[in-house]
Amino acid sequence: MQKLIKDGAIVENQYSVIKEADLAVSENSIVPMQQWLDNSDSVAGLWIEAGEGIEALENKDLSQLQVIAVNFPAFADGRGFSYGRLVRERLGFKGEVRAIGNFIPDQLGYLLRCGFNSFDFEQEVNLEKALELHKPFSIAYQGDVADPRPIFLRRG
Amino acid sequence: MYQYDAIDQQLVEERVAQFRDQTRRYLNNELSEQEFLPLRLQNGLYVQRYAPMLRVAIPYGMLSSTQLRTLADIGRRYDKGYGHFSTRQNLQFNWPTLESVPDILAELAEVQMHAVQTSGNCIRNTTTDQYAGVISDEIVDPRPYCELIRQWSTFHPEFAFLPRKFKIAVNATESADRAATQVHDIGLHIKKNDAGEIGFKVIVGGGLGRTPMVGVTISEFVAREDLLTYLDAIIRVYNQNGRRDNKYKARIKILVKALGIEAFRKLVDAEWEHLRGKESTVPMSEFDRLQNFFTEPAYKTLDDQPTSVAEKLSNSPGFARWYERNTFAHKKAGYRIVTLTLKKNGQAPGDATSDQMDKAADLADKYSFGELRVSHEQNLVLADVQQDQLIELWEAAKESGFATPTLGLLTDMICCPGGDFCALANAKSIPIAKQIQDTFEDLDYLYDIGEVDLNISGCMNACGHHHVGNIGILGVDKKGEEFYQISMGGASGHDASIGKILGPSFAQDEIGSVMKRIIDLYVDQRTEEERFIDTFRRIGIKPFKEAAYAKAN
Repeated sequence: MQKLIKDGAIVENQYSVIKEADLAVSENSIVPMQQWLDNSDSVAGLWIEAGEGIEALENKDLSQLQVIAVNFPAFADGRGFSYGRLVRERLGFKGEVRAIGNFIPDQLGYLLRCGFNSFDFEQEVNLEKALELHKPFSIAYQGDVADPRPIFLRRG
Repeated sequence: MYQYDAIDQQLVEERVAQFRDQTRRYLNNELSEQEFLPLRLQNGLYVQRYAPMLRVAIPYGMLSSTQLRTLADIGRRYDKGYGHFSTRQNLQFNWPTLESVPDILAELAEVQMHAVQTSGNCIRNTTTDQYAGVISDEIVDPRPYCELIRQWSTFHPEFAFLPRKFKIAVNATESADRAATQVHDIGLHIKKNDAGEIGFKVIVGGGLGRTPMVGVTISEFVAREDLLTYLDAIIRVYNQNGRRDNKYKARIKILVKALGIEAFRKLVDAEWEHLRGKESTVPMSEFDRLQNFFTEPAYKTLDDQPTSVAEKLSNSPGFARWYERNTFAHKKAGYRIVTLTLKKNGQAPGDATSDQMDKAADLADKYSFGELRVSHEQNLVLADVQQDQLIELWEAAKESGFATPTLGLLTDMICCPGGDFCALANAKSIPIAKQIQDTFEDLDYLYDIGEVDLNISGCMNACGHHHVGNIGILGVDKKGEEFYQISMGGASGHDASIGKILGPSFAQDEIGSVMKRIIDLYVDQRTEEERFIDTFRRIGIKPFKEAAYAKAN
C-alpha cells in the first residue's frame, strides 16, 4: 500500500478505506458515511463522497472517530475543499481529516488551509516531491482553518 | 491607486516561483497535460491556435503608466509587439512561448502585476466602472471595495476548483452601469441605506455564454462589513451544489435558475448565519486603509470650459466631435475624462501595439497623473485631464490612433479575438469588425445613427458579449463554413436585457449589407429623441427581420 503524507511527514497508512458498504469492517476501516450513520460500531472513521455534503453529520457525536476522509472523484472537483472546512469549522472535528481519491500534489497548499492534515493519493505519486509542494505560500489573504483571521486582522 | 506592501509583494513573488516550478515539471513530464491544465489556467495561460495566450490581470482596470510601459515592453520582447485589452479590463498576449511565461510573470511582479486567476474555474478579476472615482453622481468610489474583493478572492483556498468560472463586477452609480454587472455571476451595486450606511445590493446568477441570463437580486442590502462573509456564503453554496456533470450547465446562473431565487437565497442565508459576524467581517480600519489608496490627486482650482476650448469647439468640427464623443464630464471643475479609443479602422478592436501603449503611458504622465483605466468596451481612459490641455491631448491622441471620435457609436464595437487567434472560436470576428468599420466609415453618417452597442463574439462562449449588444453578432460553424447569427435588443446597463435572435445566420460577406439594411430601417423609423435601442423596443424585432432578410432588388 502506498504511504501517505500526514502532518508534514511521510508515514505508513494505518487505515483502509472501505469503498462499498457492507464489506467486512474492522477498527482500522474508514467506512462510507451512510454506513457509519446506519451503524456507528467501532471503526476508525468515515468518508464523505463528493455530493453528499456534511449536513448528515451535524449534531452527531463524532468524538469516537479518529478520521474523517473526503473523497475527490477528480482533482477538478472542488466540493471537498468546502467539506474539509465544514468538518473543521462547523462540526468542530479535531481528529484527522484526510483527503482521498484523485487530488494532486499541487493542491496540497489549499487542502491544508481547508483543514486537511493527511493525504492519501489514489494515483502513484512521488511523496517526497509532493511534500515540497506542501506549502507554496508563506502568507495568505483569507482566514482559513489554521488561522481564521484574514489579512486585515494580521497586517502590521 | 493601490500600492503593494511587503505582504502583497511577497505573495506575487511566491506565485512566480510556484508557477516556474510547475512549468518546469510540466516540461520535464513530471506533470501530465491534464494536471498542468488547471494550474496554468489559474495563471491565465491558455494554449491557443498558434501559441499560448497569457492573460494579465488589470485589477478593476487600473493601470499606472509604469505598468503600461512594462506591458508594452513585454509585448515587444515576448510577443509580436502588441496586446489585446479584453472586456473584463485585462490584457492578453497572443504569442508568448510557454517556456517564457515564468519570466514574464517575474517581470510583471516587479511592477505589482500578475496573471493570477485570470482564467480557470475560480474567482476572476473583479471589474468596475472605468470612471470610478471621477464622476459626480457616484455613491462612493467602488475601487477600495474592488481591492478588498481582489485580496479576498486571490488564492482563496476553498474556491480554486469551482464548477465553473466566477466573475464579480461592482457598480457605484445609479445613472449608469458601465461594468455590465447584471450579466455577471455576482453583480454588486453600492448603495446607502436610510441611515446613510454603505452596503451592496447583491445580484446573482447573471451571465452570458450558451445560456445568457440577467441576474436576479438576492439581497437588497448587505452592509459593507458583511460583504466578504456574504460572498463566502454564496460561493460556498455554489461550490457544493453547482452542476459538475456538464460544463455548459455549471455556472451559478443554472443553479439559481434550477432552485429558484427563493430557495437559493434560503441556502445562502443558512450558510451566512454561520459566517456573519465572524473574523472575515471587515473592520472600519481596513476600509480606511483601502480608501487611503484612492484619495484625490492634486487637482488645481480651475474653471469649466476655458476660452480656448470654447473657441476650438465652435471652429473645429473635428475637435468638437471628439470632445462630444470621447470625453466625459468630470466631478471637478476644469477637468474632463478622456477615452483613448482602440477602435481605429484597420486595427482589431481592443488591440494596442507596444508603441501605442508607450504613447498612452506618456500621455497619462503628461496629462493625467500617471494613471489610466481599461474600459469594458476595450478602450483606455485618462481620468483626470485638465480642460485647458484637451486640445494638446487631442492632437497627440490623433497622432497615435487614439482619437477615433466614435465612443459609444456603432463602430466602437466590443469584439473578441475570434478564430484568428482563439482555439475555441467557431468563426473569425476581427474581419467582421473590419467589414462593419468599412461599411460605416463616414463619420457624419455614424453620428447621425447615434449610440448603438455592437458586440461580436466568435463563438457561444460569448467573450464579445454579443447577447447584450443592441446588435449582437455570433460566429457559428455550419458544416465547416463560418456563418454569423445576428441578435437584437440586448443591453448591458441598468436596463440589461438579452438580445433575441433575428433568424437564420448570414454568410461572412453579407454582414456589412445586412447591417446597413438594419441601420437604414432604424433611421427611417426613429423619432427624434430615440436611440437605436429605444426604437427597437418600440417597434419590435419584426420590421428589422424583414429588412435584414429583404433580398436586394
